[in-house]
Amino acid sequence: MEKTLKILLLDDEPIVGKRLKPAIAKLGCEVEVFDNPAKALKRIDEETFDIVVTDIRMDEIDGLEVLEHVMNKSVRTKVIMITGYAMMELARQAMEKGAFDFIAKPFKPDDLRAVIVKAAETLGVKLTIQG
Amino acid sequence: MLDDCIDKWYKCGLQRLKRLIDRQLAKSSSKVATPGTEEATKPKPYRFTIKAHIYIGFAVTCIFAMGIVVSMIITMMKMEKGVRLNEIAQSFFSSVSLARLSEKDYFLYGTGLKDSKEIMKGLERLLITHYGELRGYIDYDSSIGLIERYVKLLDSIEELDRERNGDNPLDKTRRRETLQKEIRQCGYMMVNSADKLLSKGRDATDRLMLLFRTVQLYSVVFLILFMLFISHLLGKRVLRAINLFSKYSVLMANGQYATIMSGHNYNDEFSDLSMAIDHLIKELDRQQQILAQSQKLRAVGTLTSGIAHELNNPINNITLTAHMLLEDYSDLSDDERIDMARDLIDEAGRARNIVRNLLDFARESETIMEPICIGSVLMDTLKLAGNQIKLAGVNVDIKITPNLPRIHGDRHQIEQVFLNLILNALDVTLKGGHLKIHAGPSDDHNFIAVKVIDYGHGIPEHILQHIFDPFFTTKSKGKGTGLGLSVSQGIIAKHGGQITVLTKISRGTTFTVKLPITTIPADLANCGERINLSINN
Repeated sequence: MEKTLKILLLDDEPIVGKRLKPAIAKLGCEVEVFDNPAKALKRIDEETFDIVVTDIRMDEIDGLEVLEHVMNKSVRTKVIMITGYAMMELARQAMEKGAFDFIAKPFKPDDLRAVIVKAAETLGVKLTIQG
Repeated sequence: MLDDCIDKWYKCGLQRLKRLIDRQLAKSSSKVATPGTEEATKPKPYRFTIKAHIYIGFAVTCIFAMGIVVSMIITMMKMEKGVRLNEIAQSFFSSVSLARLSEKDYFLYGTGLKDSKEIMKGLERLLITHYGELRGYIDYDSSIGLIERYVKLLDSIEELDRERNGDNPLDKTRRRETLQKEIRQCGYMMVNSADKLLSKGRDATDRLMLLFRTVQLYSVVFLILFMLFISHLLGKRVLRAINLFSKYSVLMANGQYATIMSGHNYNDEFSDLSMAIDHLIKELDRQQQILAQSQKLRAVGTLTSGIAHELNNPINNITLTAHMLLEDYSDLSDDERIDMARDLIDEAGRARNIVRNLLDFARESETIMEPICIGSVLMDTLKLAGNQIKLAGVNVDIKITPNLPRIHGDRHQIEQVFLNLILNALDVTLKGGHLKIHAGPSDDHNFIAVKVIDYGHGIPEHILQHIFDPFFTTKSKGKGTGLGLSVSQGIIAKHGGQITVLTKISRGTTFTVKLPITTIPADLANCGERINLSINN
């Protein structure tokens, strides 16, 4: 039996989590969504996630800080950054700091799923959309 | 041919007459029909140019000078007459004296009587010739009478002496003595009369000399005073106009464009100049508006990156929600579908609001001066710059003193000023840094002051003196046009306020905008808002 991937999704826009949770769950992953970066970091400390999807620009804690936090915790974890067109410089910085990939807002659920599938592949897990 | 010409003239004349009558009728009917529009069609002020002023002054001076010259000529003529009278009196006197001398010679030596008679005849001729000049100065008839009597007495004594050989020598001697006595008496009276005439002539000459001197002196003094008066009037007029212009030019230099109003109700060259300056001001004002608008669009350009990013969030939410609605439509409950549809509507509204603020600000609008609360203007400005502030990762503390009086101004223009100041401050503030915006009463009475404080690297002295110059910028090419502070200063000056700057190297800079509070009684109500908040990242 294949391992169930644990995914954490962090975006300070609650709708993103609300809509993407069922979308990612269809890949057969365990999804936890957060709209509060502090709470997300706390959760990352408690649990090791396989994939972390985080928005780069958030009011209290930056996406790059989240990336650093995850990298410090577990190098194996793939971090996917959500970014806007105006933040290409930040995205480049994130890639340098070890982010797996980035996805620009606005995106379709399928776009993110494709990146997650790619990340899962590098983790040796093959994901398919269920249901 | 001639008939044709006469016919044409006749017709032309008739037409002109008709037009004249029509015009008169129209004038009188308009007067009757619109008695209340006198104010609107008030008579054009008459034209009294400085050129005319100078010409009139010159003409009046000339007239006075001519008067003075005429009076001098008259006095001179009188003087001449006086001198002539004197001369006649002199010769009268000397003639009489000579005649008397000859008379004495005759009585002593028996010769000279002929001379004396001739002198007397000459004197008589003199008096007759100068009758006109002497009239009024001597008793003419008695003088002529005296001369005639004297000559007659001389004749008598000559006749008596010729009769020397006759009888009764005693009687002859007695008669001679009587004649001699009479001659002496008559001579004495003539001398007396000549003396009187002489002194009268001298008096007249003295009097005329005095009159001449007085007229001369008063004329010169009067002419000088009059010329001073004319120069004073002209100088006062020109200086008043120049002072007025210099006063207005100071106002203009401070950006307050006002129509030049002179106190007088006539037109002159300065009125033409003020009209030309008014035209210039309007053109300057228009150019400044164009500049301000282009600078505003530039600021909008700066804001767009923030706006674009901010817009990404609602668009992303809409995209995700719509896709999931499509994907899971059949699996979703009605409530979930409604929830998603509501989300779609809300997010679309959010996107619209983000753009609306910016479009409202960017729109080219007429200047509308109204009473405004500085607090609400600052909050609107912060809303506009909000995304930029978030992107820069800067914390903004805003403190607005409650119950500040309203200011009189154009909301969008004031917003533009504060936006420029805030964007400038953001540029020099590092991520995680602070900005302060304080609005409160100013030290100056009737003013409020808004301070935009940054803790950046400050402005060096050599740059500080140029920061309000148009097209002066320290930003890299493509980032700044160098118009922000220049346009802001123009806008604030037009509102009767001023922007001042206080800076300390590596400590930060404070821009203070002072704006006059409204003095229109109806708008004096204070702003009710009590704002003390901070925007934190």
